Amino acid sequence: MVFGRFVNWIRNFFRTRRDIHLGIYGCTNVGKTTLANLIAKDWTGDEIGTASPIPHETRFVQKKEKVVIESNGKKLSINVLDMPGLATKVDYRKFLKFGVKRKDAKERAKEATQGVVEAIKWLNNVDTVLAVMDSTKDPLTQVNITLLGNLEARKIPVILVANKIDLKNSKPDDIKEAFPQYPVVNVSALKKMNIDQLYDAIIRHARKAK
Amino acid sequence: MKLKMDFVSSASLNGKPEKNKINFILSKVRSGSILVLDGVMKPEEEMNLIKETMRRVDDGFPGIEVCSLKKEMKGLKLLFDRVSDSKERFWNWMIKGPPKTELKSGLTLIGPAKIIKKIKKNPNSFSVSAEV
Repeated sequence: MVFGRFVNWIRNFFRTRRDIHLGIYGCTNVGKTTLANLIAKDWTGDEIGTASPIPHETRFVQKKEKVVIESNGKKLSINVLDMPGLATKVDYRKFLKFGVKRKDAKERAKEATQGVVEAIKWLNNVDTVLAVMDSTKDPLTQVNITLLGNLEARKIPVILVANKIDLKNSKPDDIKEAFPQYPVVNVSALKKMNIDQLYDAIIRHARKAK
Repeated sequence: MKLKMDFVSSASLNGKPEKNKINFILSKVRSGSILVLDGVMKPEEEMNLIKETMRRVDDGFPGIEVCSLKKEMKGLKLLFDRVSDSKERFWNWMIKGPPKTELKSGLTLIGPAKIIKKIKKNPNSFSVSAEV
């Protein structure tokens, strides 16, 4: 065990640096895929996945490699990873309310649970995280707290993204108040508001991971 | 329907491998109990609890609701806490087998998502709505 860790340390010390893995994490329906699509489309012209009001639309990790973003004359090559929404529960009955058939709902729930497990496993491989939160909802959820605690323990740079600021009941200041120790960028991924500020923050904070 | 609550002392979980702790918690919660611990798991353990919960989700068990309140530490207490963490990490690194950890000071409530409908958390308190 000790020898294995030593070998890993040597390997990490000498490895050449790859592109930054930017993980987009958060609860379900906070706008992760909308944001991932916006970033990918802005810099490559292609989208990553399909956003939907039905929870757990993203059930597999979706990736866009070699996305070169630019802000204030600085460039950064990133691999954008759109993660399935984190959750402590997945109830297939919830999908029935959206008109999904029972059999499909059960399959969707099964895939969703596997997606959560995959997203958690990826925490070992991401370099920087965008923790997306819905600014119209209470940010003090256990999923958010656990996610941020894990990132802190792993020393992974994190930017909080207060999404959906275009909505009337948006309260991005609640996110700043709940997690004052983290940088927060207020955006609307849907309406493309404040996205340049987000690119600037990604370049500034992701470089710390290099 | 009856509502069962189990109050568990951190002493009964401290020093146990993480896998055993998670198995203990999930077996209680799957059987319908709401578990109250006088301690807080580490973020990594809590994430692994979520991961293991997802593996056990089925038609009758949609998952868990969990909420914890960690005791804020400042000054010397924080320093001792960090030293204790480093000591624990060092021993877990040295010994073979699954890591053994202790719960932090605080309070955790874990219950079946079927019963717990909402948890409203504030920085120093939380309220739970359950439906039996």
